[in-house]
Amino acid sequence: MFNPRPNQKEILSYTHGFMGVSAVPGSGKTHTLSRLAANLISSNVLDDNQEILIVTLVNSAVDNFSSRIAGFMTEFGLLPDLGYRVRTLHGLAHDLVKERPDLAGLSDRFTIVDERETNEILANAVRGWLRAHPGFAAEWLAPEIDLDSDSYIAKSWESGLESLAKNFIRQAKDLQATPHVLTDALAKYKIRHSLLDFGLDIYSAYQRALSYRSAVDFDDLIRLALLVLQSDPDYLMRLRHRWPYILEDEAQDSSLVQEQILTLLSGDQGNWVRVGDPNQAIYETFTTASPEHLRRFLRRGDVTARDLPDSGRSQPGIIKLANELIRWTMEEHPVEDLQNSLTTPLIRPTPPGDPQPNPPDDPAGIVLYDQKLTPSAEIDTVVRSVKAWLAQNPDKTVAVLAPRNKRLVKMADDLHAAGIETVELMNTSQSTRQTAVLLQEILEMLAKPVDALRLGKVYKGINRERWEAPETRDLCRAVHHLITRNPKVEDYLWPRTGVTWLEELNAQSVDSAAIQELEIFQQLARGWHEAVLLPIDQLILTIAQDLFAEPTRLALAHKIALLLERSAQTHPEWHLWNFALELADVAANQRRLDGFSEEEIGFDPDQHKGKVAMATIHKAKGLEWDRVYLLSASNYDFPSAQEYDQYLPEKNFIRGKLNLEAEALSRLKAVMAGDPAALYLEEGLATTQARLDYCAERLRLFYVGITRARRMLTVTWNNGQDGGGSRENQASLPFVHLSAYWKETRNADSR
Amino acid sequence: MDRFAYTPVQEQIIAAPLAGSRYISGPPGCGKTSAAVGRLRRMIEQGITAESILILTPQRSLAAPYAREISRPDLPAGGLPTIVTLGGLAQRTLQLFWPAVAGSSGFRHSELPPTYLTLETAQYYMAKVAAPLFERGYFEQLVIDRNRLYSQILDNLNKAAVVGFAHTDISRRLKNAWIGKPEQTIHYEQAQECANLFRAYCLEHNLLDYSLQIELFAQQLWPSHLVRQYLSNQYRHLIYDNLEEDVPVTQDIIREWLPAFDSSLLIFDQGAGYRAFLGADPANGETLRELCDQTGEFSQSFVTEPALQELGNAFSNILRPKAEKTVTPRALTGYSFAPSRFYPEMIDWVAAEVARLVHEEGVPPGEIAIVSPFLSDALRHSLMHRLLGHGVTARSHRPSRSLRDEPAARCLLTLARLAHPLWNLPATPQDVRAALLQIIGDIDLVRADLISAMLFSQRNKQAPLNSFDLVKPEMQERITFSIGERFMRLRAWLMDYIESEPAELDVFLARLFGELLAQPGFGFHDNYEAAGVTARLIESVQKFRRVTEATLQATGRSIGQEYLMMVADGVLAAQYLLPADEPPPDAVLVAPAYSFLMINQPVRFQFWLDVGSLGWWERLYQPLTHPHVLSRRWQPDKAWTDVDDFSANQETLQRLTSGLIARCREHIYLCAARVNERGTEEKGPLLYGIQSLLRLARELEAGHV
Repeated sequence: MFNPRPNQKEILSYTHGFMGVSAVPGSGKTHTLSRLAANLISSNVLDDNQEILIVTLVNSAVDNFSSRIAGFMTEFGLLPDLGYRVRTLHGLAHDLVKERPDLAGLSDRFTIVDERETNEILANAVRGWLRAHPGFAAEWLAPEIDLDSDSYIAKSWESGLESLAKNFIRQAKDLQATPHVLTDALAKYKIRHSLLDFGLDIYSAYQRALSYRSAVDFDDLIRLALLVLQSDPDYLMRLRHRWPYILEDEAQDSSLVQEQILTLLSGDQGNWVRVGDPNQAIYETFTTASPEHLRRFLRRGDVTARDLPDSGRSQPGIIKLANELIRWTMEEHPVEDLQNSLTTPLIRPTPPGDPQPNPPDDPAGIVLYDQKLTPSAEIDTVVRSVKAWLAQNPDKTVAVLAPRNKRLVKMADDLHAAGIETVELMNTSQSTRQTAVLLQEILEMLAKPVDALRLGKVYKGINRERWEAPETRDLCRAVHHLITRNPKVEDYLWPRTGVTWLEELNAQSVDSAAIQELEIFQQLARGWHEAVLLPIDQLILTIAQDLFAEPTRLALAHKIALLLERSAQTHPEWHLWNFALELADVAANQRRLDGFSEEEIGFDPDQHKGKVAMATIHKAKGLEWDRVYLLSASNYDFPSAQEYDQYLPEKNFIRGKLNLEAEALSRLKAVMAGDPAALYLEEGLATTQARLDYCAERLRLFYVGITRARRMLTVTWNNGQDGGGSRENQASLPFVHLSAYWKETRNADSR
Repeated sequence: MDRFAYTPVQEQIIAAPLAGSRYISGPPGCGKTSAAVGRLRRMIEQGITAESILILTPQRSLAAPYAREISRPDLPAGGLPTIVTLGGLAQRTLQLFWPAVAGSSGFRHSELPPTYLTLETAQYYMAKVAAPLFERGYFEQLVIDRNRLYSQILDNLNKAAVVGFAHTDISRRLKNAWIGKPEQTIHYEQAQECANLFRAYCLEHNLLDYSLQIELFAQQLWPSHLVRQYLSNQYRHLIYDNLEEDVPVTQDIIREWLPAFDSSLLIFDQGAGYRAFLGADPANGETLRELCDQTGEFSQSFVTEPALQELGNAFSNILRPKAEKTVTPRALTGYSFAPSRFYPEMIDWVAAEVARLVHEEGVPPGEIAIVSPFLSDALRHSLMHRLLGHGVTARSHRPSRSLRDEPAARCLLTLARLAHPLWNLPATPQDVRAALLQIIGDIDLVRADLISAMLFSQRNKQAPLNSFDLVKPEMQERITFSIGERFMRLRAWLMDYIESEPAELDVFLARLFGELLAQPGFGFHDNYEAAGVTARLIESVQKFRRVTEATLQATGRSIGQEYLMMVADGVLAAQYLLPADEPPPDAVLVAPAYSFLMINQPVRFQFWLDVGSLGWWERLYQPLTHPHVLSRRWQPDKAWTDVDDFSANQETLQRLTSGLIARCREHIYLCAARVNERGTEEKGPLLYGIQSLLRLARELEAGHV
């Protein structure tokens, strides 16, 4: 039973109008919002064809919401699945466009390109463009750079431009600027700027390439969703009728276009509840996402503003630390422009008697290790600590969090070397990989059906869990042994006349359970053999229907099917083996399926007790562990706009260490905002502004990292120099402050 | 009267004097067509010259009952009535009167005979005409593959012809209805330009696509006194069935022609109009009623039980916005709601329930239909496979797709490549394996793989298949001698062919099919579906040959080679597959809902799959065409808004559901999966309609109603 706290009750008493909620980490906002949805549905405010629309950030949250609401609905004695729809912004955009593709200029069979295809198109376009514009490099590279003699820099230069192009296109789409619109706008101001020329040319080439593939990308989908809403007022009215209530989660990461879409859908007199934590806005760089949208909404006169400040997640010491970070930022941050990076409400421990009490106070569980370490020493220190702690706490959860993936790869290697198991939340989740690997193995088996080892691999793959479970372990291994030792696969799968292989086994007194198991697998494998002539996407779906029941796996198989169908269109000559190789790419983590990172599958730290979860802080959002190690708290990853700080996006080989991306994007925004004056501002101003934005986001990232911990938190930093070098990193400013604050607090406590 | 007893109403139609015009209407399943067939028989038996009878239907499949009747051996000997669609009539008439119209219609070579284009060959030429425009950046903002783009431009031309407006007016109509951003209308202009260029190309080269055939017939031939006299002399009696599914221009012609017939019988199916997306105009058709001397209503259904009829009424009211929503206790026995959490679970459940009906309740499989808005290969395969696993025979029917997607067509074309080494279109071991899987009866994947790995040589083009005798004995044993023997027959056939003078591709295919594949022991033997695909492929090649022979000869390219390349490009795309005339075998039918309706064979049990899918409700969205805006019912200057879109979809759903219910005798299973095939939740209007039905049922059971 859900027993709401007083602040939650306030929110649950909502009946209509606009409401904004600032929620601190661990305050139960998902639970409250789910309950609010269930309350509204059960209160009979909806017609048969109406729904509550819930919009959230990632797909794992979609499942989370759906199952919670379904749970409440069942509690109320109602049908669990009707009356609401939970979508990510992408999912919602897809629904909107899919229902009226004509308004978006799409056919109903449009497809969505994945990240690799996007990257391939961009890489080709950039390479071609650079060849045609030999003067461009000379204009922007530092004078001493010679690309011909330094292949590393040449590569970085190109990949930097690909990233620039990608963000340019994304930003343009966010601003609803098609290449055509942008060309007209540039012509109006009669301005030529090589970065804008570059961005626009690549954008045009990219859109042409998409159109040729009869595809859109994810940003198009959102852009087009807004377009269809703006195109047909009747459609908008129908959708407003369908969704009389909109509940928006993670509103701090709402982009401009998301806000526009939801504003249109709710209407002037609508019912719209936005819940978020402005302090956890960490997806803003080079997007129009900004916590400012939520803050502005909370300040509106017609909006009821509420707080959810109580959190039972962390022990009091960790809450103090997080609150001190907010206070210090707001009051003492040396850079005034950064003082609004974090805001109140502060986190409040839950009141006595609360069903979710905070873990007991344990100041010793918090370590802000301020000693300078080399990168390897930092990892060594953490590995040793983790090993010792896990030995004593095998039933607890622990995570190592770092700002960047690269650091985690090294960390994971060292943990493995120390005999510690890890769970990775990197680009592709294990579940994605497992699904892709399994499908890949089945395709390989179908490509080479004569090979008993491949057949055995498939058997093992589909019995992954039973393979390890004590009660089925021996059986699975025995069956696997029989399959792989049989040189004539056809005698097993397609026996002809005479005594069949299975009958022979029977005669040899092989365990009847094993025979039964072999018969079941025989049926399955035969079914796939018979499906082998289907088009590749349909083959994948057929296999998926035999193997998977969970929505995430089915959805993933569907994505894989689409991916392979697209490959088949581009390469009509491909056979099963090529498709299997393609899947091997996904499985080997080289190819992220868009919209299918680990969040899709949902990650539950409590399922991995005794193992170390490895994640970037970004990926760790929304999750919590008993113990958290936060790495790399240096000024390289968490700069504070200080003289001595360095910035990841600024490259030494670019003239004046300009941030080209920032320079290009600020001009793009100026063009689209009709602000010609901003177009002529001197170079470097955008780079400086980008520094501030970056610093602000990094402060929030630090806050998110700290608030992942329930009971214990260890923060370390490193100087970035294993082998010596010109400039070493320092401890980041917020870390230095918190470290001092914590010492003082401990001292005061001990006094 | 030898097969079943007619009702008095039917008797009345059959026995009515063979003079004057009659119009009968009624919902499906009331015996209207049966009465008309009875009347046809009576006419012939009474000595009316069969050749003077014209039987007109909007689609060939709808004429199947008439075709069956005239092929019965007990019918009096003599000529045959003409069973035809408007397109067919246009073609026949054009062949006769071509010299008279060619010159005045702008054809450059009026002295030469015309070439009739099929959908495929029209697409082939459209691709030729439009390709240079793509180079100039046409359709850049549009997200659609080229073959679909071509077919939409052709569709627009056809719509203009069947609705009866100038083909040059297409873009204006579409633009006027467009409500979105004005810059998107440039595509309409570009599509118009393509259509105009295509028309000019046809006039230049004496090509007659469907739109030109209809236009010439309706605008040049029909108004001509000479032609009218010819047609009126030829046909004295008319049976016009399913006129609600026909296009306005046919209905208009019949309107003018009607007084000239000695007798005419017009049949209108109420609530139908499923071919609206192809231009069908039931409202225009219904106006023919006023011109008829006698009108009659058929109302008593031979098909549906009262429970189903009441369910149909309840459903109609639920889907109509302002109708009173009620349900009768009897209607509740007409359906079951079967929710599943996941899609595969739903398929399993359906297969098991069908098996229960067949094995435990003794329901003949042919009395069961499983329908869904779309029938993907995966769904079809999964269902058929599961049904087979339960020991239930099943067949599937769906309109055909691109030939390159048909495994049987791919198999035939692989053999064509092996047989024509000079074409230089090599096959891979995987192609050969796939072909073997279909060619050799009861072969399996493992053995097909063994053969293709050991006995196929990519290098030796003159003898791509090696002898089975070369294989080691233990391998021969693994493959089995019976498979080896058939492989050797295939090899011998192929070698013979390679060594002889090459035939045209269609001749090659026909020989391959007849001499080898259709023989016992080979995969196409007794395989109606593969035989159907072969027939279609041969027809497609023949038409392609007829149309392109002259042009290709000039370039020196082989027709077969060109054809294969076009198939690979997907240019030679879908043709509508016509159902066989023979009565269906006793098997569970798995079909898209619309195909099931157009087959028009009622069953006792229906399973509606994935009722949450939006596919039950929404039309196909095509960015360059619009079935409603290009229809006659649409005011040319009005904007098409979501209100129109919504009500059109709602009407579609209502028509579809009532059409299905009218073709069900006993019970409907409404099957839902919370998570669809794609792993997402879909809650379309049909599901909401069902929810309302369930709510009414609950209230009824609780005694609130």
